Amino acid sequence: MSRSADAIAEAFEAAGHGAYVESFDRDERMIINMGPVHPATHGVLRLVLELDAETVVSCRPVIGYLHTGMEKECEDQNWRSAITIVTRMDYLAPFFNEHGYSIAVEELLGIEVPKRGQYIRVLISELNRISSHLVWFGTQGLDMGAISAMFYGFREREVILDFYEMVTGLRMNNNYVIPGGVWEDLPDGWRPVVENILGLLPGRIQEYEDLLSENPVFLERTKGIGTITADECGTLSTTGPIARAAGIDWDLRRDMPYGAYPDFEFDVPTATEGDVYARYTVRMEEMRQSVRILGQVVDGMPDGDYKNMDPKLTPPSRSELNRSMEAVIHHFKLVTQGYTVPAGEAYAAVESPRGELGVYAVSDGGTAPYRVHVRDPSFVNLQALPVMVRDGLVADLIASIASVDPVLGGVDR
Amino acid sequence: MLRVTPEDALERVRSALGDLAVEPKLNFGAVDLTCTRENLVEVATKLRDNDELSCRFFSFLSGVDRTGFTVGEGDDAATGELEVLIHLYSPVHVISVTLHVPVPVEDANCPSITSVFSGAIWHERETWEMFGIAFQGHPNLVHLYLPEDFEGTPLRKSFRLPSRMTKPWPGAKDPEEAAAGGGR
Repeated sequence: MSRSADAIAEAFEAAGHGAYVESFDRDERMIINMGPVHPATHGVLRLVLELDAETVVSCRPVIGYLHTGMEKECEDQNWRSAITIVTRMDYLAPFFNEHGYSIAVEELLGIEVPKRGQYIRVLISELNRISSHLVWFGTQGLDMGAISAMFYGFREREVILDFYEMVTGLRMNNNYVIPGGVWEDLPDGWRPVVENILGLLPGRIQEYEDLLSENPVFLERTKGIGTITADECGTLSTTGPIARAAGIDWDLRRDMPYGAYPDFEFDVPTATEGDVYARYTVRMEEMRQSVRILGQVVDGMPDGDYKNMDPKLTPPSRSELNRSMEAVIHHFKLVTQGYTVPAGEAYAAVESPRGELGVYAVSDGGTAPYRVHVRDPSFVNLQALPVMVRDGLVADLIASIASVDPVLGGVDR
Repeated sequence: MLRVTPEDALERVRSALGDLAVEPKLNFGAVDLTCTRENLVEVATKLRDNDELSCRFFSFLSGVDRTGFTVGEGDDAATGELEVLIHLYSPVHVISVTLHVPVPVEDANCPSITSVFSGAIWHERETWEMFGIAFQGHPNLVHLYLPEDFEGTPLRKSFRLPSRMTKPWPGAKDPEEAAAGGGR
């Protein structure tokens, strides 16, 4: 039973605590800044909250703290080296940025990607989906007070990051998927490493679900919290797990297939509640489906070229450089100037862990992009946050932010 | 889902929009069309509400500064203008539509489509501060990324990167090419 403010003040007075509430205005609203360095705002997100006691009346995201003008920077690079810029946008899912950009450039160039290159892209993308969802799992758990979720999530992510390092030499900002295929072939011994990951993950995902799915504290804090309807998702163009958890059955991998995705069988998990818990179940199932796709990729990995070997795009091999002066000149020209891309424009979208990641590329026929626009899913999904948290409690706002899973590198670009 | 072929999609856009759409064509499987800014709201509404199209999913809105391009040939040749770029989908028919809206540099404004797609609010704020295109009818056209007191429109071609002012484009191997690429 709650006591009125006056009763509390009287009780304090009577007990001689010296605390005295002179007046208590029930209609007083408080403006509070949350972030940009708040641990629960996932990076440099700042929220300006208008609070009525503990209830959120309005929430206004303030972004731009990580804005570095990456789209403008792309115009200053050649088509190949702009990858180093786009890969830094959504830094938890770098391969998707590279993949979307590469498809757009391939459309402009009118080139095909060899089957092996496409399979490697799916392999690395689906691993990336899992590693990105593991960060979400860790932070969602952490924000709900389940600190061990963070440790477990990052433990498995580490195994996947080790595989990236083995393939690309880097753990993030990999610069691996390029127009025409991928930069390097998979190294010897990749298969047992991936099989090890695939053997490990289903059991571990089950372990996470055992920890959280029926945990009363987790259920209390996620069920019916941060609700968004399918209609609201539609008007705000929310995509990815948030839209699927609200009942929008839309996944670009299945509905507008790209690359080698038509070769694989997988389900698109959906839910109808649209709350934090529904987004949790959708993402957990997505990790299982990614494991399922990865199994098919490993079994069906074709031989052959891993990138388009057209000499106009691909520098000569190391052995050729040792033999021929022309090859060295050609290599030098490709690295310094890059290749030209025919004038035109193309839009390509991939299903990133956060939703539709699209790249609109405009070429004027030169060796540098004329304009690159990236539709980053974090940016668009973050617009839906005020809708989710309105009239909820501050504590529920924390659950909602984690379930939106924004990556501020992608939001701000 | 009633998937339609790109050719069919183009035909549906032609019949639904009539003269409102200038030069509808196919571009890598997407319907690509231009419309004047006066017709923009009407075109967007028709694309969304026509049952043959039902492009209800707003993907993004951005801009392109086409002043680096030359439009037309011979005596009609002129430098390009600014452009508002809108991308829409139909989740029902799997049609994707790219909408180009030319905006002159001297009179850079365009009607807001937030009344049609409310998800465009942030996109229009971004385009406004990056390209200096004012969206008329926008509920709250203030800075999104940049500080309040920032001057300039960074994504226009006239806005030079500070590093390019001091050093020409490093992608050129000959000095004369460096001058040519210096505008980047």
